[in-house]
Amino acid sequence: MLVTKSMTKKVLTVKKDAGLFEIRNLMKENNIRHLPVVDGENRLIGIVTDRDLRSAMPYRIYREPTTASEESERISKKKVADIMTPDPISIPARYTIQDALLLIDAHRVGAFPVTEEDGTLVGIVSVRDLIRAFINVLGIGQPGTLLGIVVEDKVGQLKRIVDAITEENISLGSILVARYWDEHKRAVFPYLLTNNVRRIKKKLEELGFQLLDPMDWYFDRVKK
Amino acid sequence: MHKTGLLFDQRYLLHDTGSYHPEVSDRLLAAYKGIKDSELLSDLILFQAIPADIRWIETVHDRAYIDRLNDACVSGRKQFDSADCQICAETYDTAVLAVGGILRAIRWVMNGKIDNAFCPIRPPGHHAETNQAMGFCYFNNVAIAARYLQQEFHIEKVGIIDFDVHHGNGTQHIFEKDPSVFYYSIHQHPSFAYPGTGREFEEGSGEGLGFTKNSPVLPGGGDKEYHTLIQQDLVPAFDRFQPDFILVSTGFDAHMDDDMADMNVTSEGFTWIMSRIVELADRHADGRIISVLEGGYSLKRLPELVGQHVGILLNGAQAG
Repeated sequence: MLVTKSMTKKVLTVKKDAGLFEIRNLMKENNIRHLPVVDGENRLIGIVTDRDLRSAMPYRIYREPTTASEESERISKKKVADIMTPDPISIPARYTIQDALLLIDAHRVGAFPVTEEDGTLVGIVSVRDLIRAFINVLGIGQPGTLLGIVVEDKVGQLKRIVDAITEENISLGSILVARYWDEHKRAVFPYLLTNNVRRIKKKLEELGFQLLDPMDWYFDRVKK
Repeated sequence: MHKTGLLFDQRYLLHDTGSYHPEVSDRLLAAYKGIKDSELLSDLILFQAIPADIRWIETVHDRAYIDRLNDACVSGRKQFDSADCQICAETYDTAVLAVGGILRAIRWVMNGKIDNAFCPIRPPGHHAETNQAMGFCYFNNVAIAARYLQQEFHIEKVGIIDFDVHHGNGTQHIFEKDPSVFYYSIHQHPSFAYPGTGREFEEGSGEGLGFTKNSPVLPGGGDKEYHTLIQQDLVPAFDRFQPDFILVSTGFDAHMDDDMADMNVTSEGFTWIMSRIVELADRHADGRIISVLEGGYSLKRLPELVGQHVGILLNGAQAG
């Protein structure tokens, strides 16, 4: 799960002396919101976002850039270097998807440039790239049925569940374990690639597991 | 009273899904029992199936897929595409017969022999994709029926209503770009039920944008939620679309006693749903409606549910 597998590799970049209207058009045409700024050797020196751009000019000029007024004349002379975030936080190429998820959550940013040890830019990983990876992890791109099971928080519980699923000859799309309100319990969410869950539900109940009322399912019990 | 046809063919019992499968032939025996017990049998026009001409199945499925299913059955395989789809030597012929029975019902409606019909067939169809069997389904019966209506009888606009508790991914995908077929489905929310499609924001694409409508219902929902969503989503959409013919993917698995999902629709709730559908057909399609069985796995409840269902086709909508 290296971040380099999920990131966007063909990344558009700008030099620090690019004009603001130039990057405004570049973002609009390519429908992107983050532009890494690099030097002559493709080493990351900054990042500029559409928010930086919007803060640097009134909305009417952002919407329709012209050099007709004195104000837009002045803005047209500004360079990326004037508004970019210099030395931005970047993710080393050796990082994993999990690292990226935690960093994005901690820093509240929409995207991170990915760099080699020497600062060379190799890609950009955005929230959207991570969402795609998460859809893949959840397995919800494939048809299936999600179950919710409450288990005692002790060793071997998951094995019993997976064994029961295997005995029923059901393929697993994914399996998630989450915290439960009760400290000594865990909630397990197997995503089963089948429509035929009647027998496995019964079997799990016979094994002593409690099936969760679907409306009580949640994934977000992690402390904010 | 309507002239209501009943497709009755015991060859549909021959599709054998093995010992641990919910989609079993006992479901049809329960359906037959319900019709017999409701004492409607003498008022119904019974007919048998004739195998479908494969060219009609080819209006939806690729020839290579059709042949692949035939080969799997002939060679004695027990499973096709996924573990959900258990097969036997007779599965292919039964599936061709399921399509054939429905096409015959269409011919009878179109030449005035009957007004409407119920087709309790096996195997079901709404999960079947162009090239893939899924969720107990092999040929998409209702999708083929829609193409047949358009190509053989020049019916312009076909409305499909799917109230099986699972979303009919196959039917939706086949028609999502097609503005001449409106697909409406009400089902358990895809985050909690197979197959994981049929979200509220899936509304068709290209020229077909706005001709697909999904009403997902959260687990635990029942008559109240179905009433609200059908009045709010289905009825206005079909009043605008004005279908010339209505096909129904009928599933009884949203019933409170059906343990395939987590819905709480009552038997009265199903009567209410079907009554609104019959009203739509009366309003726009000269009452032309063919109901095709999809799911419904409570052998205890199927007799009364099927009996009521056929009663509405025969005697008309019950006031809501």
